[in-house]
Amino acid sequence: MKLNVIDLEKSEYTGGKSSLCPGCGHDQISNVIIQAAWENGIRPEGIAKMSGIGCSSKTPAYFLGKSHGFNTVHGRMPSVTTGASMVNKSLSFIAVSGDGDTASIGIGQFVHAIRRNLDMVYIIENNGVYGLTKGQYSATVEKGSTKKKGTMNEQPPIDLCAMAINLGCSFVARSFSGSKKQLTALIRAAMGHRGMAVIDVISPCVTFANNDESYKSYNYVKENDEVLHLIDYIPHFTPIEEVDIPEGEYDDIQMFDGSTLRLETVGREHDPSDPVSALAAIHQAEKEDKHVTGLLYYDDGMQTADESLELTSTPLSELSEHELRPSSDTLDKINSGFRGN
Amino acid sequence: MHGKMERICNDFTINIATANGTGSQSSNLIILNSMFQMGVPVSGKNLFPSNISGLPTWFIIRASDKGYQSPGDNAHIQVLMNKDTWAKDLESLEPGTIVIYNENVKLPVDRDDCPSFGMPMTKMARGINPKLARLMCNMYYVGALAHLLGIEQDVLETAVAGQFKGKEKAIELNIRAITEGRDYAAENWVDGIPYCVESRVKDPNSFLIEGNEAIALGSIFGGINMLSWYPITPSSSLAEGVIKWLPELREADDGGSTCAVIQAEDELAAAGMVIGAGWAGGRGMTCTSGPGISLMSEFIGLSYFAEVPGVIWDVNRVGPSTGLPTRTQQADLTMLYEASHGDTQHIVLIPGTVDECFEYGWKAFDYAERLQTMVFGFTDLDLGMNYWSTSGFEYPDSPMDRGKVLRSQKEMDAVENYGRYRDVDGDGIPYRTLPGSGLDPILYRGTGHDEDGIYSEDPEVYNATISRLKRKIEGARDLLPAPVVRDEEEQHIGVIYYGSMENSIAEIDDMLESTGLSVSTCRVRALPYHSEVEDFIERHDKVIVLEINRDGQMYGILRKELPAHLVPKMHSVAYTDGIPPRARVYADMILEALEVIA
Repeated sequence: MKLNVIDLEKSEYTGGKSSLCPGCGHDQISNVIIQAAWENGIRPEGIAKMSGIGCSSKTPAYFLGKSHGFNTVHGRMPSVTTGASMVNKSLSFIAVSGDGDTASIGIGQFVHAIRRNLDMVYIIENNGVYGLTKGQYSATVEKGSTKKKGTMNEQPPIDLCAMAINLGCSFVARSFSGSKKQLTALIRAAMGHRGMAVIDVISPCVTFANNDESYKSYNYVKENDEVLHLIDYIPHFTPIEEVDIPEGEYDDIQMFDGSTLRLETVGREHDPSDPVSALAAIHQAEKEDKHVTGLLYYDDGMQTADESLELTSTPLSELSEHELRPSSDTLDKINSGFRGN
Repeated sequence: MHGKMERICNDFTINIATANGTGSQSSNLIILNSMFQMGVPVSGKNLFPSNISGLPTWFIIRASDKGYQSPGDNAHIQVLMNKDTWAKDLESLEPGTIVIYNENVKLPVDRDDCPSFGMPMTKMARGINPKLARLMCNMYYVGALAHLLGIEQDVLETAVAGQFKGKEKAIELNIRAITEGRDYAAENWVDGIPYCVESRVKDPNSFLIEGNEAIALGSIFGGINMLSWYPITPSSSLAEGVIKWLPELREADDGGSTCAVIQAEDELAAAGMVIGAGWAGGRGMTCTSGPGISLMSEFIGLSYFAEVPGVIWDVNRVGPSTGLPTRTQQADLTMLYEASHGDTQHIVLIPGTVDECFEYGWKAFDYAERLQTMVFGFTDLDLGMNYWSTSGFEYPDSPMDRGKVLRSQKEMDAVENYGRYRDVDGDGIPYRTLPGSGLDPILYRGTGHDEDGIYSEDPEVYNATISRLKRKIEGARDLLPAPVVRDEEEQHIGVIYYGSMENSIAEIDDMLESTGLSVSTCRVRALPYHSEVEDFIERHDKVIVLEINRDGQMYGILRKELPAHLVPKMHSVAYTDGIPPRARVYADMILEALEVIA
């Protein structure tokens, strides 16, 4: 039986049976989350699964069954995560949202969670449609898209990665639910990252938007995936000498917990520390009707929300009454001060 | 005003008309605090506009040896500083009202029936500091009133020092202006006025404070872990009170804070953060006013249905919609009690004094964690932003109640047939575990769920869940604060009221009793209402529900929930115009209602 670094089997990280449509991209992402958490050796009880409302937001029921989770309300997962994170910063927050949840109803909360650099993994399972309400366009669908039935989408899409980079998000990546290796490495890295890690995962909706001309269909993404680099996540507990060195060019990024992100160049160079080149890569791909995937932007130096609030080191939920309630003498002094004494 | 004048001490109302943003609040508070320090029972009402600078503001100071705190029927002394309201203010005066005015406004005082006293306040202020004349001129009416009413100079100077804490230059300049005003009045105003202040023995423990700051302190003593807030009048000073006191009161040994404060992007997010904090085992709170509650409603339903503790304070301003943002009323009550879609019912704590603001500030968390639901604190702008007297806050008389949280496997094992939503104890309140504990992890959800927290659309499961929730909240009635009841022997007429109406009830009661009526009173302090409220109704012949709104919201709740035989004796008296309740208005309406009933 294969065990991870904390001696747990992979089955300790699985969840309930999925009720999504067979072949849904979201289920592949759930499997990758299970794989990533297991490979990273995170204690399942130390994880908090967060989601909003929609097909994607149902998936926390299908992975990490030994972790607490909260399937909140539509578009408002970031605020619930914020409150929970402030009170217990020792939890590892893994959040799943969709394109309706994030790019429409919850775009304000998405923006402000990034602005605060909340310490969390924010996975967007992006298929361009509202699945649970039977296939209406979302705000990330390409202009000119035509569903099987229905009218053409006339509005330009919102690119959530470009938006996140502009907002100063400290970890921004794009991937594809069908790219298991790339996605696993990105989610593992995001779990190791301190701060907000946004991963926009194109995840085809097999029921409402998998026609070949849809930019978010399996066939389209496979043919138009512009991979920035091959990613290898080398966790801090794996000696880097034991990892095979790529034959071609590569860059190593050191993460705060001692892990390494190894980016092997394929095609042209990409410097993930440069937001301008990250935005250029996104816009160039968009111009060519392609999807650029990989680690677009990374900055390990930003203060997280709890750091900037200068909270005490113990998670607030673990403080005793003695630490939370000032003394009776203190109240006497306050009363006395008000009396002008 | 010639001949021998009758002296009227500690029984008058001053109305001070100024423009917003001219610093007049400082002048007004100096008068208020000085009278308070002399032991004169006094109250102050700030009627201010939704504006930073320029729109009219009135400050009403009522001195009353009887302890009456409502604004009073009419002004006995009118201070005129604002040209925009000058004519209207003058026109509304009763004959005989004393008028003190700024001559430099250069508007006529054409009321021969009102003794008037002019002073070139702006010109004199320019003499002290031309740049600050617009602000300083307000200190001259302080001096003028001090002269006319007999407010002691040393008391005034202490109040000035308190107002401008540590700013020596400001203290010096303002005392100079006040003194010049006093001297000018003494030299130029020959006639006296009948009104005066007379020192009384002051409770040495008493001080004035706003309800918002009292709640802020209460929440800090209640162990608040997370405050999320979005600025909105009249609740902002509650959040700012928490922020002001946290560094002194809630710093851990390592120097870090034991409470996170987040200014949220909107009220929706503020409510979400409260729920996140409660879910993770912390004490989360937000404060807002009616418009914020409207926005938070979806989350409030989640808290109710997923059973996550949290605290929301609503400092009621005038609705609907943006309404009158800087005026007061009690019209959010029904919304709080039944907020969010579907069948819901929430705990509402209703303080009527600043002492209760402090007390419910900490107790709200205990109720929220005990009952695993959203608890509202409900006040209004009058209680929240005006200054009220207290003899000092009382330290919590019970340890923090963290509710039914299982923190170890041992505790979990002791619960027979545990399920997150199973009513093991028969009180409708299930046990819960916290994220990070590894104990019975579940996916919390706002969707239908069974006793183990698993998704369910089963009709029986759904009905059992909402029935248990009803039982849980109903069962809380007598855990919540009991009403404050004052029974007359006759038990003929009972008046039920709540919240800031407490400040007017004594005067209303005296007005009613002066007509020969004998009236018992019952101040409701929480919803769902305590069984003693029902007892009060049961033993009185006629019951009036008195409130500061249009529709009689508490009356509606009582009518809906009381046994049918009590309903016919219930009558509503509800009125709102944005101004803190004037006793005469409500007393007359009660008398009218009683006539109709008879």
